[in-house]
Amino acid sequence: MKVRYSINGKKKEFEIEAGEVLLDVLRRNGYFEVKGNCYMGTCGTCTVLIDGLPYTSCTMLAAKVDGSEITTIKGIGTLQNPHPLQKAFVEKGAVQCGFCTPGTILVAYALLKSNPDPTDDDIKKMLDGNLCRCTGYVQQIEAIKLAAKMLKKGDG
Amino acid sequence: MLKLKNVKSCFTPNSIQEAVDILKKSDGKAVIVGGGLDITVFPNPTIEQLIFLNKLGLTYIREDDENIKIGATSTITDVAKAPVMQNYLKGKVKIALTELASELLRNQITMGGSIARHHFYSDILPALYALRAKIMVSGGEFVEEFFIDDFYRNDLKVLMESCIVVGVHLNKYDDSFQFGSKRFVRNATDIALLNMAILAQIEEDIIKDISISVGSRPGPAYRFEQGEAFLRGKKLTKVLAEDFGLFTKSNVDVAKDMHLSREYRQHIAGIYTKEILLDFIGGVG
Ligand SMILES: Cc1cc2nc3c(=O)[nH]c(=O)nc-3n(C[C@H](O)[C@H](O)[C@H](O)COP(=O)(O)OP(=O)(O)OC[C@H]3O[C@@H](n4cnc5c(N)ncnc54)[C@H](O)[C@@H]3O)c2cc1C
Ligand code: FES
Ligand code: FES
Repeated sequence: MKVRYSINGKKKEFEIEAGEVLLDVLRRNGYFEVKGNCYMGTCGTCTVLIDGLPYTSCTMLAAKVDGSEITTIKGIGTLQNPHPLQKAFVEKGAVQCGFCTPGTILVAYALLKSNPDPTDDDIKKMLDGNLCRCTGYVQQIEAIKLAAKMLKKGDG
Repeated sequence: MLKLKNVKSCFTPNSIQEAVDILKKSDGKAVIVGGGLDITVFPNPTIEQLIFLNKLGLTYIREDDENIKIGATSTITDVAKAPVMQNYLKGKVKIALTELASELLRNQITMGGSIARHHFYSDILPALYALRAKIMVSGGEFVEEFFIDDFYRNDLKVLMESCIVVGVHLNKYDDSFQFGSKRFVRNATDIALLNMAILAQIEEDIIKDISISVGSRPGPAYRFEQGEAFLRGKKLTKVLAEDFGLFTKSNVDVAKDMHLSREYRQHIAGIYTKEILLDFIGGVG
């Protein structure tokens, strides 16, 4: 069957298996920035935004979200023009192996859209579904707070 | 990794009748998709057809004089963010909803998907039991309202072969009612080891009406009727809260599993009921 999405602002049409999950469709079509790990909704590495809200793409049936707008990490900033969150993650050392980073940044992106001035608790609660084996989360929280400041100042 | 290997077709019906007709004709090979979490995490190889409810207009939270009416495809996030939930039972139900799982999963879990199976791992069911929710089920040409306790007395497998959950109604309780819930969990995406919820009507310090529910015991959520009988008609004091904690510990029906012993679950259940009652009298500690 065919599905149509807008991915990072570009219209796309894919042939999919009826029982496929979005993560597999995205990776098969070259969106390798979306990582797969547990395939059970527990780690958050496969996070994408669907119509602006973060979801685990490994548990989302691709056919269910036919017609949606999908944003991957590449949709919020580029190497040449990174989003403040991407800059802040580098600046604060919140990236080590980097495997969790696309998912974590997208969840943080959704948080800052709805809550531009989050407390540490707001951030911790929001990151509940994004596991990181390397950083111990402290730098991630620092980075998200820094990004919030940068966004408020209109920086980036 | 193709999770649902044998799925051949997807349907997005335009009416509940159409959805029910596909379900009935499928001979058990079609499945209604809510958020799709159970369906993708525990793939069933016998499933050949997926039925999406996207076009049925079942994503809503409305209110009338007596009820808050929640459509089956509303997610936990939809419900928690609905303006009517901000002050419903002093915002305590909203808090219970925003504490379960992670934001990522709350965006996907639907009310219908949580209700349609009596899963021991759902944290929504204990809250719905305590709130004495009414489950709305449609077979196409009819809609039937079930009191939650009666709904789960049905053979759900049989009922759900010819019906879909279309919504849930929550009574609007007046200010004499208080709600509280507690959940014991190791991390956000882990199955809760125990959860408890209490709805109580307290007038002039007397517990006039009460419902208490227990979940993740491990086993499906249920009403703790012995506990309700213990409290009904009594004056709510700190001493009663202490006594009830001990009563809960001795009488609550919980079991052991690989995660937790029965004794530990009972102990926590006792602490939880005590703390919820203390919270009701504003005297924690
Ligand atoms: C990693 C993980 C952690 C989780 N943590 C929690 C938690 O902490 N607390 C919690 O409460 N939940 C939690 N959940 C969610 C919960 O366990 C179920 O997965 C969820 O309730 C299913 O909802 P859904 O809308 O995705 O249902 P689906 O997977 O779409 O459906 C579930 C079942 O219900 C049927 N169904 C769906 N909608 C309807 C309908 N309207 N009418 C009739 N039948 C229907 C389906 O056919 C299927 O059999 C977690 C899930 C995962 C994967
Ligand atoms: S791969 Fe999706 S949550 Fe882990
Ligand atoms: S940076 Fe390695 S898992 Fe997070």
